[in-house]
Amino acid sequence: MSGSELPKLARVAHAGHCNRCLSALPSSHIQIDASRLAIGFYCFGTLDLLGSIYEKTKEIEREGWREWLWHQQTSGIHGTGFKPSSYMTQDRPYGTDPEEYSEYDTPHLIMTYTAILSLAILRDDFEQLDRNGIVRFLQACQREDGSFTSFPNGGESDLRQVYCAFAISSMLDDWSGVDVDRAVSFIQQCSSHEGGYGQQPTGEALGGTTYCALASLYLAPSVSDLHAPNPHVTTDERRRTIRWLLQNQASSGGFSGRTNKDADACYCFWCGASLHILGVGDLVDRTAFLSYLASCQFKFGGIGKAPEDRPDPYHTYLSLAALALFPLEDADPSWKLPRLNALWNTTEDTADWIRQHVPLYTVKAQSPVRK
Amino acid sequence: MPDIAGDGPEEQPLFSERPDWTDVTPVPQYEGYNPIAPIFYTPQYKDATDYFRGIVKTNEKSERVLELTEAIIRLNPAHYSAWQYRYHTLLAIKAPLDAELKLMDSLAVQFLKTYQVWHHRRLILTAIYSPPPSNASGLNDPTATTSSSAKSKPSPESQAAARTELAFITRVLMVDAKNYHTWSYRQWLLAFFDDVHLWEGELGFVERLLEEDVRNNSAWHHRFFVVFGRGQLQGEEDRVAVLKRELSYTKDQIALAPNNASAWNYLRGILERTGTSFSNLRSFVEPYTKTHEDRLGDEEILDLENPAPSAEAELPCVAALEFLADIYEKDAVSKSVEIWKRLANELDTMRKKYWEYRIKEALKDVPVQS
Repeated sequence: MSGSELPKLARVAHAGHCNRCLSALPSSHIQIDASRLAIGFYCFGTLDLLGSIYEKTKEIEREGWREWLWHQQTSGIHGTGFKPSSYMTQDRPYGTDPEEYSEYDTPHLIMTYTAILSLAILRDDFEQLDRNGIVRFLQACQREDGSFTSFPNGGESDLRQVYCAFAISSMLDDWSGVDVDRAVSFIQQCSSHEGGYGQQPTGEALGGTTYCALASLYLAPSVSDLHAPNPHVTTDERRRTIRWLLQNQASSGGFSGRTNKDADACYCFWCGASLHILGVGDLVDRTAFLSYLASCQFKFGGIGKAPEDRPDPYHTYLSLAALALFPLEDADPSWKLPRLNALWNTTEDTADWIRQHVPLYTVKAQSPVRK
Repeated sequence: MPDIAGDGPEEQPLFSERPDWTDVTPVPQYEGYNPIAPIFYTPQYKDATDYFRGIVKTNEKSERVLELTEAIIRLNPAHYSAWQYRYHTLLAIKAPLDAELKLMDSLAVQFLKTYQVWHHRRLILTAIYSPPPSNASGLNDPTATTSSSAKSKPSPESQAAARTELAFITRVLMVDAKNYHTWSYRQWLLAFFDDVHLWEGELGFVERLLEEDVRNNSAWHHRFFVVFGRGQLQGEEDRVAVLKRELSYTKDQIALAPNNASAWNYLRGILERTGTSFSNLRSFVEPYTKTHEDRLGDEEILDLENPAPSAEAELPCVAALEFLADIYEKDAVSKSVEIWKRLANELDTMRKKYWEYRIKEALKDVPVQS
C-alpha cells in the first residue's frame, strides 16, 4: 500500500473523542480517578496536535481548565507539585486558604509533568508556578539508588518517574533538584540483555520504559549536542537498542512493546520516538507504520491499541504523536501534523512556549526591578 | 451501570446508612469549577470516599478503617491513598499481617494489572520479615530504601513463607504468563529472601513455562535474570559450565522453533554477557541460514552439540542469517553485505532500510579499495 491509498485521518472525530472525555467520563472509568491529570494531558495533547485547541474549545473553557489545574498545585513539607486530581480534596468553605497537603494528598511526580505540559498547551503564563517548591519536591522524591518515587513518601519508582524528573528539570532549566549522576547510573542498570530498557533494573525490555531511558539520557544536562555521540550510551549499546527497537515492528506495521508480543498503537510512539531520539527514525517502514495506525482508528472517533479495539485518550494521543514524528510525503493532507518535540513529548510550538515561560530566568527577565 | 468490582461491596449497605459509622463525619470531595475529565461516581464510591476523607481528616486508625479501605480498593484498586492509609493502619493497630496477605491473594488475581496490589504485597512482606528499626516513623515506604532485604540469615519460617509466596506467584503466572507486575514481583521476591534453595528452583520453573510457550519472552528474560543477575557464577570453572549449559538449552529451543526472536535475543545476550565470540556458534547457525533444498547436499552428521533444524522448520531463518552476517562483519564484510542485501530485498523487507543502514555502517569502517 502506498501513502496515497491510506484512508483519511479522522481529525474531527478524534478531537471529538477527546473533547467528550474532557467534559465527563462514565463510572466505568473510576479506576483513573487517581490519574485524571494524565488523561487531561492526552486530551489537550490530541487537540494541540490536531491544531484544533482554538477551534474546538472556547477561551472561557480554557481559562476554567487552567484555573482548575492550578488548584491541583499543592505545597507542603516535601515541596510543591501537582496532585493527580481533586479525588482527595476536602470540601471547604469558599474562599478559605488551602492548608498544607496531608501525607495522603501529596503532589505526584508524573502528574506534575503532565500538568506543566497541559498548562503550556493552554498557553498559561506560569506566573503561579512555584519553581523552587518543585525543585524541593524532586529532591524529596529521589532515592538512594538514583531512582525517583511518584510521591515523596512512597509509591512506584522506576524509569517513568526518572523521566518525569528529568523532563521537569529541563523545562525549568534548573537541575538542582536532581542528582544526575546517580539517576543516570540507575537508568544504565535498567538496560536489558535484549537491548531495550526494563522498567526497573531486573525488568524485561519494554518499549515505554526504553523511551523513558533514552529521552532522559538525551535530556541530561551533560548532553549539549543531540547529534553528537551521547556520553551515557556506548556505541555497542546504541547498536543493540536500535536492533531491538526495529525488531519490534511487527508484520502488521505496528510496534510491539516486548519481544513476541502483539503490536499496540502506543508502542508506535514509544519505540518510534526512541528511534527518533537515537537519530535513526528514517529506518522505520513508514508506510506500514501509518497503515497500522490508520487501521486502529475507531469508527466513532478516537484511536485504540489495535484494530477494532475501543479508543481512549492515551492511545489517541500517542498514535498522533507517533504520526507527527513520521510524516509520509504522499499521504492525504489530513495526515499532516505539526512537528513534535520527541524528548518532551509535545508539539514544537508548545515546547517553545515552555522555553519562554517555565524557566526561572524568564520571570527574572520580566521583573521590572532588576539591578 | 456496570458492576466493575464483581462481588465487591455493592451488596453492602452504604456507610452513611450504617449505625456503626454514625460517629464519623463524611467529607465530600471538592471538585472545583471546570474540572477536567470528571467521573460520574457511583453512589457506593462516592459514599465510601466521603467517609475515607472523613477518616483521614481525624487520622483515625482502627479496625473499621480496614473495612473502609478494602471497600474503596475493590471499587478502585488504583486509589493509592486508600492503599497507603490502609498500610499505615495495619501497622498502627498491629493487625495480623498473614491475614492481610491472604486477602491480597484474592485481590491480586482480581486486579492483576494494578500496580498497587503488588506494591502493597511487598510492603506487607517487608514488614513481616524485616521490620523497620523501632525509631522509624513508619510513614516512609520501607521498600523505598536500597537496603531492603530480609533478615541476614533466613529463618525456617521465612524460608517457608518465601516458598509459599513463590508458589502463589507461580499460580498467578498460570493465569497470565506475561504479566509485567507479577514477574517484577517474583524477581523482587527472589532478591529479597535471597535464599539459595529458592534460586535453585527457578530454572526448572522457567523451563516448564517455556515448554508451554517457547515464545514467552518474560520467561526468557527471567532465565537471564536467574542465571546472570545474581552472583551465581563462582569461579572460572562454574562460569564455563554455566555458559555450556545455557548454550545447549538455547540451541535446543531454537531447533524446536527457529523463528523465535526471544531465543535468538537470549543467545546473543549470553554471548555478549560472557564475552564469547559469535563465531563460536557458526556451525550451529549455518544450517538455519539455508533453504531445505540447499541443505539436501549437506552431509548429515549427527552433532549432539548442534541440533539441526527439523524438516518442518521455516527456512531460511532471518535471525540466523542476521547472526551469520554479524559473524562475518569482522573479517569478511562482503559476505555480510550479501546477506544484508538478501534480507533487505527478499526475506525481511519490513526492515529494508535497517539492513541497508547496516551495509552503510559496515562499509564506513572499511578503507576504500583502489
